[in-house]
Amino acid sequence: MKYFLYWGCSLEGTGANFLVSLNPVCEALGIEFEEIEDWNCCGASISYAGANDLAVKVLNARNLALAEAKANYDIVAPCSSCYIQMIKINHEIQEDPELLSQVNECLKEGNLAYKGGIKVRHIQDVLYNDIGIDAIKAKVVKPLKGLKVAGYVGCQSVRPFGEYDSVNKPVVQDRLIEALGAEAVPFPNKIKCCGSGIFLPEIDYCLELAKNILEDAVNHGGELISTVCPMCAMNLEMYQGRVNEKYGTDFDIPIVYLTQLMAVAFGMDLKKDAALHYNVIPPEGILKKAVG
Amino acid sequence: MENKINYGPSFSEEVFQNVDFGEEIKMCMNCGVCAGSCPLREHMDYPPRQIFSLIRAGKREEVLSSKSIMLCTSCYTCEVRCPRSIPVIDVMHGLAHYALKKGYVPRKDTADFGREFWNQVYKIGRIDEKDLPRKVFFAGGVVNGIKATLNFMDIGLKLFLHHRMKLLPEKKIKGIASLRKMLDKAEKIGKGGTVT
Repeated sequence: MKYFLYWGCSLEGTGANFLVSLNPVCEALGIEFEEIEDWNCCGASISYAGANDLAVKVLNARNLALAEAKANYDIVAPCSSCYIQMIKINHEIQEDPELLSQVNECLKEGNLAYKGGIKVRHIQDVLYNDIGIDAIKAKVVKPLKGLKVAGYVGCQSVRPFGEYDSVNKPVVQDRLIEALGAEAVPFPNKIKCCGSGIFLPEIDYCLELAKNILEDAVNHGGELISTVCPMCAMNLEMYQGRVNEKYGTDFDIPIVYLTQLMAVAFGMDLKKDAALHYNVIPPEGILKKAVG
Repeated sequence: MENKINYGPSFSEEVFQNVDFGEEIKMCMNCGVCAGSCPLREHMDYPPRQIFSLIRAGKREEVLSSKSIMLCTSCYTCEVRCPRSIPVIDVMHGLAHYALKKGYVPRKDTADFGREFWNQVYKIGRIDEKDLPRKVFFAGGVVNGIKATLNFMDIGLKLFLHHRMKLLPEKKIKGIASLRKMLDKAEKIGKGGTVT
């Protein structure tokens, strides 16, 4: 199965453990990725500070047009900010012919055009619906026995459309965790926002959001938190120390990408494929205990 | 008979005509689900529902200088729950864009962060994750910049030691010149106009 992979800016830096683990895991499942050549940033949700709405739409339409000109594959956007921007704008363009022509008027400045024929997908959607739980289970050689995982869904990976999962009670990540032999603990705050892209400038307010998520995961028995979003990972892991300082807590819970867990369960190299040494709060101990 | 209700239609009209998604607030029935859903509601001076009411009441200053319009984390909880299907996030972003364009700075750090974010997109077509916080930290002057840098140095160092910081500066995308032409055009013909 072939897809375009639009990995975005974060996955080359702060979210590198996502990209490093995503590639071998997807390859093992028969997924083939192609880069959208010369892709640009999605603008994330903060671009409104500098750009009007049409400019942000055009920014994303350029990536869609570059992809469409090359092949008819779906675009997989693992970063939830890239995903939400691209899928939302794609829907808006596809549903409104007047907007499509306005966008194309701008794309024409760079000799590009978008017909509206591309589909944008989340990596969880592809894993769950295209590959399927059975095929994933078949690749598991080191089940994560007894490991209690708090599957943190966050916000932008399922909202607002609920394309592949419930917006209020998402289950896909839990099913994927269970396919690896681990236990997905109930975790009501799994759909609460961590502060997302404005965590850094609004850190005084957002630390509380991170605290509530960490607390809920730990209180429900989570030994580690899984995520599919580079912002969630950054906020919950890198600012965990700041949460402890501010609230007198003693959280020390690893935040791992779902694909890192998959790489471990698939028996892959813990460094080269699972990139566990990229994590600042080390998950190795807990994971090695689970796989025996 | 003269309508005595103290509504200010002129500001509503201003919002409908100039703010991206501004017309969507016509659908608001003031139920407050957006306010109840918002993760940062406790820190807002006016939650979204009240912002929409203030627009209808013509309270221009209150709306355009309200920190609420820049405290949106874009989590889409309000948007999913709104019974009138108002894209609350897009409206809040549209209002913040308009406020900045008119010289208001509802939330300085987030405004600096967002403006620098867009500067990078426009300049190189991508985000340089090391450069962005550095520029934002120093937007408030050298002293503040040094303080903020020292404050966050531990996090930067950890990211670096764990292979999560690209060392080389981000290069411009190949099509940067044409991307800028496309964006310039969009700024010109788009409803929200340009932040100068």
